Amino acid sequence: MNRRVFIKNTALATVLPYFLGSLASCTVKSGKQKPVFVLIQLIGGNDGLNTLIPLDQYPNLSKARPNILIPENKVLMMNGATATGLHPSMKGVQDLYNNNLVSFIQGVGYENPNYSHFRSSDILLTGSGSAETLYTGWMARYLETQYKHYPEGFPNQTHPDPPAIKIGDTGSFLFEGYKMDMSIVIDAYKSFESPEIEPSGNSADTYAAHEVNSIREILLQTKSYSNVIEKALKNKFSHSKSYPKSGENSLADQLKMVAKLIDSGLETSVYLVDLKGFDTHEDQLDAKDPTKGTHADLLKKVSQAISCFWEDVNQMGREHDVSGMAFSEFGRRIKSNASRGTDHGSTQPILFFGADLAGGIMGKNPVIPDTVLGSDNLALQYDFRSVYGSVLKKWMTAPSTDIKEILKGDFPELKIYKSRS
Amino acid sequence: MPVISSYSLAPYSGKWETDDLLHLLRRTLFGVGHKELEFFRKKKLSQCLDVLLTPTTALKPPVQEDPDLTDPLVPIGTEWIEAPFENEMIDSKRSEALRSWWVSRIIGRDFSLTEKMILFWHNHFPIEMNIVKDARYDYAYYAMLRTHALGNFKKLIREGTANPAMLVYLNGNSNKKAAPNENYSRELMELFTIGKGAETRYSEDDVKAAARVLTGWKDNKQDIRSEFDPLLHDSGDKHFSPFFENRVIRGRQGADGAGETDELIEMIFQRTATAEFFCKNIYRWLVCAQMDEQTERNIIKPLAQILIANNYEVVPVLRILLQSEHFYDKAFRGCIEKSPVDFLVGVIQQFGVTLPSDISENLLCSVIIHDFIGGLSMIIGNPPSVAGWPAYYQAPKYHRWWINPSSLSVRMELVNNLNSSVGLKCNGPYIKFDLTMFVKQFKDPENVDLLIDHCVELLYAVRISDAAKNKLKSILLSGQVANHYWADAWQKYIATPTDEEAKNIVETRLRAFFKRMTNMVQYQMI
Repeated sequence: MNRRVFIKNTALATVLPYFLGSLASCTVKSGKQKPVFVLIQLIGGNDGLNTLIPLDQYPNLSKARPNILIPENKVLMMNGATATGLHPSMKGVQDLYNNNLVSFIQGVGYENPNYSHFRSSDILLTGSGSAETLYTGWMARYLETQYKHYPEGFPNQTHPDPPAIKIGDTGSFLFEGYKMDMSIVIDAYKSFESPEIEPSGNSADTYAAHEVNSIREILLQTKSYSNVIEKALKNKFSHSKSYPKSGENSLADQLKMVAKLIDSGLETSVYLVDLKGFDTHEDQLDAKDPTKGTHADLLKKVSQAISCFWEDVNQMGREHDVSGMAFSEFGRRIKSNASRGTDHGSTQPILFFGADLAGGIMGKNPVIPDTVLGSDNLALQYDFRSVYGSVLKKWMTAPSTDIKEILKGDFPELKIYKSRS
Repeated sequence: MPVISSYSLAPYSGKWETDDLLHLLRRTLFGVGHKELEFFRKKKLSQCLDVLLTPTTALKPPVQEDPDLTDPLVPIGTEWIEAPFENEMIDSKRSEALRSWWVSRIIGRDFSLTEKMILFWHNHFPIEMNIVKDARYDYAYYAMLRTHALGNFKKLIREGTANPAMLVYLNGNSNKKAAPNENYSRELMELFTIGKGAETRYSEDDVKAAARVLTGWKDNKQDIRSEFDPLLHDSGDKHFSPFFENRVIRGRQGADGAGETDELIEMIFQRTATAEFFCKNIYRWLVCAQMDEQTERNIIKPLAQILIANNYEVVPVLRILLQSEHFYDKAFRGCIEKSPVDFLVGVIQQFGVTLPSDISENLLCSVIIHDFIGGLSMIIGNPPSVAGWPAYYQAPKYHRWWINPSSLSVRMELVNNLNSSVGLKCNGPYIKFDLTMFVKQFKDPENVDLLIDHCVELLYAVRISDAAKNKLKSILLSGQVANHYWADAWQKYIATPTDEEAKNIVETRLRAFFKRMTNMVQYQMI
């Protein structure tokens, strides 16, 4: 389809007022700006045991998963971590770790794990317990403390930019607020176009009126942000040369777009990107070369994307303003199955990146028993809401009372970050 | 919350108005235009349902039609569904041909619920063709959905459990005694039959036991079918939880092991939850995404009992639902956002878009239409996951999931291109609206007020304000106030259809008029 047919004149016409407002913030020195948090969702359930590999468990590990074992001598070593290594395709992450720019938290999950992709990702994105259902995202609940009564009164002079941005073609539960989605959705492969909005909402109390009005609200909100987004996307930023060609690594393409948006000076503080394909029930790795195959390709994409993105962050001098994490809906089972794959499991290691991390690997290596049953799962070390709470507290500097409200309870704080200077 | 006046499954006995008929057609067909309305207008409700609930006849399988592809084993114009597997490149072309052929079936369909049910089942019981990677399997899967579209839920699931495409998709073919793979058995319970809810307390061990029952099924690429291998089958006894009344499926030896699968399906379909799960899902497709407590009690539960009483034949349930007082309650008019298929196929049906008659061009055109639908986040043949599309399961948004600024701008781009003088480039040919033909089919199209009322009635499932109608009117009148300006222009065009100027005057106004009509949010609703 020829997209040029559809480009609107308005895109060029009215960016000036925001142009001044947004650029002004760029002159503020690094470390003083509003923190930005980038979430990377690994969709499908990442096999943590083959990502962050417990070297001290090899004898039992090789019994539990003989057909998907990464050869011990291929595991990438990390400075100061003698008992834990990285999947061989994560060279970029290894370098970042060695420079204290990546850290890990072991064994993250929740009590009574749910093995359904959909339920478990809902739990992770809404921040609910295993048995409760929430209809708003945990990040949206935080953003609602910053953008009170959103969308009423937004955007405005002090907050000209969207609270959150989701890269992709649909929104996410993470940003689903009490009233509406707190994010603007931008497709990394299509030009961003603000919709035309026809009048005539409907005041009648019918299901249809409710739906029509909700859609109109989303459109109005997007339209009101479209100028700043269009402007931000025109930002000329010289990206790192390390990025792969467009289309080769969708995660890298998405993070590249995030880098450009951050550099443009948007005040947007949360971004969500994702990579699909981690549901490796079968042929997780190559039969001939265990360091290659589906899972290796995915981890390589993750590693490459994060390290290119970090080069961009460095380039713009924002390394003390930008941090993020990579998470999945769950980890995978300890024991591999006969199809050289793994089934849905419980806990997972979470990766953090940033320049203000406390560093290292939090938590212990998972313990692999001598005899592993098909149903055995890794032990829970940290509730995921402890991780969220610590991010909100130390990185986003949210007050404890808000955090308790956002997470619907008290969860012990983890030392993920040094204090943000 | 909106007020629902009837929670009754009793047959609708109110006056059978055009508005009620349109409601029925919008929910059961993809797109309702003059042709559909005229066909059904004189029929009574029960006669309409007789037509809609009759399965369409068997189809000729797709053939190799892509002139750019050399498939050494399949000459142009011949079928490939039983041809040997060639290579991945050729197979992906065959798969593409299949998916476009599927779309062309939807566009060229009869007046039957069949196509919508095929899509319903595809969402309910999906495969992803780019994971299955064998177009012949994909076709066998499609043919299965088609056979059972207006058939039997239980038979579909039983057959699908050993369907070769499904065995590949959810790893049933690697589920062996030595190392059970529980991928299929988990989704079987959670997504295909019982569902996951407060009352569905099957256990993690049930999933594992069911996986053991299902060990032994393999797909066979040679014959494009599945087979049961007793050597891979776990012939031990399988114990189920109290949710299944502590049922034990006794292990069977040899070829008899396949019979355990029948027992398992039978056991799952003995749960009322399975019938209720289907009824809730079909209710979400055909009536409304929201379900209050009274709906669950007075609509869903009785429907589930009817489904069980009919041994899981779906037509009796569909008939009762689609003829019920509840279905015709005004509260539900226009409350469902169009899916990408509803939207794009609907536009094509409504505005008399003619697809190329040349069979090869027609196929290329369907390829593009399939891709356009995919660009709107609904890739037929490749749903995003085993749960289907979030629009059918993700509370509280449901159908609204289809609509976001990015998807809406693509929808408008498509409709605006179709509604342009050049048309929408559909591979080679361009396709476009025939607006004068569309308007001619209304009664008294020279009467501007009537024309607007008729268009609103046909194109919108929700009412619009007088102010919005006035805006529409001002487009047809080019800002004038006297109605006769439109009447004059239209009559002149009818009197001298070859007069370019007269035609142009009418067409430009109609184009702007329908642009506004199709770009309003209301047009997204059925």
